[in-house]
Amino acid sequence: MRRIAGIILAVLLIGGVAVAVVAGRDEGTSTATKTVRAVIGSEKAEFFADPEVVEALAAKGYTVKAETSGSWAMEGLDLEGYDLALPSSQAPAVALAAKYKVTGTLPRPFYSPLVVVAHRNAAEVLASNGLATLDEAHRGTLKMDSYLDAARKDRTWQELKGAGKYGELTGTLYLSSTDPQTSNSGALYLAAASYVDNGGKVVAGDGEVDRAAPLLNKLVRVQGAQQSSSDAAFRDFVSGAGNPLVVVYESQVASLLADGQKPDDLVVLYPDTTVNSDHTVVPLTEEGKAVAELLAEDETLRALEVRHGFRPQGGTPKFADGATYLKQELTGVHQAAVPTSKVLHELARRARA
Amino acid sequence: MNRRTFKWLLAAALSALTLLTACTSESPAGPDDAPRPGSLRILASSELSDMKPVLEQVARDTGIEVRPTYMGTLDAVELLAQGKAEDRYDAVWLSSNDYLRLRPEAAAQIVSETPVMSSPVAVGIKPAALTALGWQPENVTWAQLEQAVRDGKLTYGMTDPARSHSGFASLVSVASALSGAQSALTDADVTKATPRLKEFFAGQKLTSGSSGWLAAAYKRRGNVDALLNYESVLENIPGLTVIRPEDGVVTADYPLSSLASSDTATREEVRRLTEALRGDTVQRLITERTHRRPVVASVAPAAGLDTGRRRELPFPGSRSVADGLLSSYENELRRPSRTVYVLDTSGSMEGERLDQLKSALTSLTGDFRQREEVTLMPFGSGVKKVRTHVVEPADPKTGLNGIRKDTAALSAEGDTAIYTSLQKAYDHLRSERDTFTSIVLMTDGENTTGADAADFTAFYKGLDPGQREIPVFPILFGDSDRSELQGIADLTGGRLFDAQEVSLDGAFKEIRGYQ
Repeated sequence: MRRIAGIILAVLLIGGVAVAVVAGRDEGTSTATKTVRAVIGSEKAEFFADPEVVEALAAKGYTVKAETSGSWAMEGLDLEGYDLALPSSQAPAVALAAKYKVTGTLPRPFYSPLVVVAHRNAAEVLASNGLATLDEAHRGTLKMDSYLDAARKDRTWQELKGAGKYGELTGTLYLSSTDPQTSNSGALYLAAASYVDNGGKVVAGDGEVDRAAPLLNKLVRVQGAQQSSSDAAFRDFVSGAGNPLVVVYESQVASLLADGQKPDDLVVLYPDTTVNSDHTVVPLTEEGKAVAELLAEDETLRALEVRHGFRPQGGTPKFADGATYLKQELTGVHQAAVPTSKVLHELARRARA
Repeated sequence: MNRRTFKWLLAAALSALTLLTACTSESPAGPDDAPRPGSLRILASSELSDMKPVLEQVARDTGIEVRPTYMGTLDAVELLAQGKAEDRYDAVWLSSNDYLRLRPEAAAQIVSETPVMSSPVAVGIKPAALTALGWQPENVTWAQLEQAVRDGKLTYGMTDPARSHSGFASLVSVASALSGAQSALTDADVTKATPRLKEFFAGQKLTSGSSGWLAAAYKRRGNVDALLNYESVLENIPGLTVIRPEDGVVTADYPLSSLASSDTATREEVRRLTEALRGDTVQRLITERTHRRPVVASVAPAAGLDTGRRRELPFPGSRSVADGLLSSYENELRRPSRTVYVLDTSGSMEGERLDQLKSALTSLTGDFRQREEVTLMPFGSGVKKVRTHVVEPADPKTGLNGIRKDTAALSAEGDTAIYTSLQKAYDHLRSERDTFTSIVLMTDGENTTGADAADFTAFYKGLDPGQREIPVFPILFGDSDRSELQGIADLTGGRLFDAQEVSLDGAFKEIRGYQ
C-alpha cells in the first residue's frame, strides 16, 4: 500500500494523471504462479482484468499485478520493485528504458492506430466536400492535409456544402481529442498533425516546434475544455453527446464491436496519416521480459489481444466485425513517426498555452 | 472570477461541507462518514438525489452501498481544490467535470472518470406560450428565444450559475449561442455579446440555488413561461414542453470519478459500481426513472426524449473565460438583487449569538453583487432601524463599508416582534423595481410581541399580486420555532434554512443562490 501511495504522490507531483488499480488477481489460481508487478496505460486495464487473460498468464506460470498510470506520467514514477512498464506509446517507453538502463530492443507486442470516430451525417458532409472518402457504410479515410487546411482557415460546418440540412453541424469544424498534456491519445493527435504540417517529417528542433505551435494551439483552443482520458471521450461519443468528430484509438472501437454492439450512427475514419499507439514493454526484470514475450508470442494471449481491439505485431487481426467498421489491413494509412518525448511535451505545452 | 467571488466560493464550499448532515444525509442515525468496505462515500451533485431508486437496485445487484453527500457542483469543485475531499469521500460524482478540469488543483485529485449518463441543457416551455409564439418544439433556436424575450413574449427562470451546474451550463449555452462564437468561448466573445446577453437575462424572472425550489417557485408563481435547466429536470416537471435549442446545447455527462487519495480496494469498488451503472438493465432503469440519456449504444433513451442530434457547444477551456462569464453574469448581465435582511436583535441575541450574526453579515459583504440593494432591518420589540445601501458598480466600497458599519453597530435589546417587522419589510418593498426581490428573516426565538401569525397571513393576503411574489427566506437559529418559520416560508413561497445545526454564516451564504 505504501508503494501505491508513493506512486500516486509521485504522479501528483509531476502533475500527471495516474490510476492505480489491481487488474490482476492472485486468488483462484490453483497452481503456484510468480507474481509480476506491472505499470500499464489505462486503456489496457480491462485486458489485464479479463479472467481469460488472467487464466492464460497463469497457465504459463504468471500472475500480473497491474497498476495503471498515464503513459507520460510513468516517467515520474519510481519503478523500483516493478517487473515491467507498459506505456501506450514508444516515446515514453524509450525515455523509461534510458532512465532504468534497459538495453536491447523494447518488445512491442501489440499496437493500435489513432482513428477518428464520426457521426454519419458529419462523415457524409466531410466526404462530399473532399475532406474524407467513404469506402463502407461505417468506414472511411480522413484526408489530414485537407482537414488541417480547413483548420488553418477556421472553416465552419456551415461553409461546407450539404451541412445545412443537419442542424447539429454548425460552428468550427474540428476534431475533439483528450488533453495532450495528460493523455496519450491527445498527444499522439498532435504528433500526427505536426508531422503532416511539417511536410511529412517528424518535428524536431526548436525551429520546427516554433513553426508547428500556432496550428497545434488552434487545434486545441477551439475545443474548449478537453476530456482527460480517451475512454471518457469515446463513451461520450457513443452516447451521442459532444462533438461529431472525436480522436480515439481503433482498439476502443474494436472492443465495443467485440461486445456485440453495432452502433448505427458511427463511422470510423482512418486518417491517411496517423500515428500508432505502440504498446511498448520496458522489461525491468527477467520475469518482466518473460511476460513481454508471452504477450507477443503466446497464441491464446494474441487472440485475446485481438478481442480487446489491439493489433498483435506480425499478422493481420481478425476483428469480430468483419470489415464493416474496421480495416483489417492498414493499407493506405501512412504511419507518422512520433517526436521525441521532449519535443512532444513541448508541443503539448504550446498547444495548451 | 474576481478575488471576491473566489473567496466566497471557498467559504461557500466550507459551509456546504458543514451543512451536509443537516440537509442531505441519507442515513437516519445522523452523521455516518466513516469508511467501510462495501460502502462508498460519494460527493455528488445535488440533482443526483433522484438516483436513489437506481442506487438501491445497484446495491441489490452488487452489494455496494452508496452514501451520497449532495452539494452544488461548483462548491464540490472548490472542496476538491482545497484538498478537503480526500479523507471524507471515496468517489466524486458531479454533473460534469468540465468546470473541475479548469482547476488543476481539483483535477489532480481525480484519477479516473467514466460518464454514466447524460442530459443536455434544455428549455421547458408552457404549451400555451409555445402556441402563442407559433414555434415547433423540434426547431427552436436560442436566437428565437432571445427575440421572444426582447418582444416581451417570454419570461423564464433558471438556477444561479454560481451555485448550480445547471445554471452554469445554461449560461454557457446562452452565451455561446448569442455571441455567435463558432468555437470555444473567449473573453472577447463574452465582451462582444454583453449587450445581447443583458437583454436576454432581462427575461429571467426567477432565480434559485437549487433545481427543486426553482420548479416549486415556477409552479407557485404561475406567470413565468419557461425554465432553463437540464432536460432530465424539466421532463419531471408536469406541463412543460421540453425543447433542445437547435443551435446547440451543453451536455452534462455525470462522470463517476475515483480519487487519488483512495486505496486500491476502494478504487476497485468504484470501478465495480461504475460497471454496474453502465449495465444495460441499469441504464434502462436510469433513463426511464430519471429521463437522463443512456451512454451505451445498446439502450435507447426513454420514450419522449427526442433523439435528433444537437450541436455540442464547447465548454470554455480556461478558467479566466469561465470565471469571467460568471462574474459578468452576477455583476452586469442579470437583473440586480434587492434584499431586506430582517434581523432579530432582541435581548436574547446578546453575546455570542450577536457576535455570530455580525461576523456572518460582515463576511457576506464579500459576496454582494454589483447593483445590489441591501436593506438591514434590525428588530426587537419593533423595527429599530431601516438602513439601505446599494453596491454601486462605480464605487462598490462605499455601499459595502456602509453595510459593515451598520452591522458593527447592531446591539441586542427588546422583545421579538417577528410578524410586525416582516410587515415593515413588505412595506419597504412597496415600490416595485426590476429586481430579484426577497426578504431574509433571521431570528433566534419565537414571536413574543406585536402582530401574530394570523395577522400576518391576513396582511400578506391583502398585498398586491406583485408583492406576494416576494419570498421570505427564514433562518432557523438559536431557539427559534421551526413550525412558525416553516409557516412563513410556505405562506410566502420561500424556503427554510437551518442554522441550528450548522453555522449562521453557512445559511446566509446558501440563501445567496436564491437572491
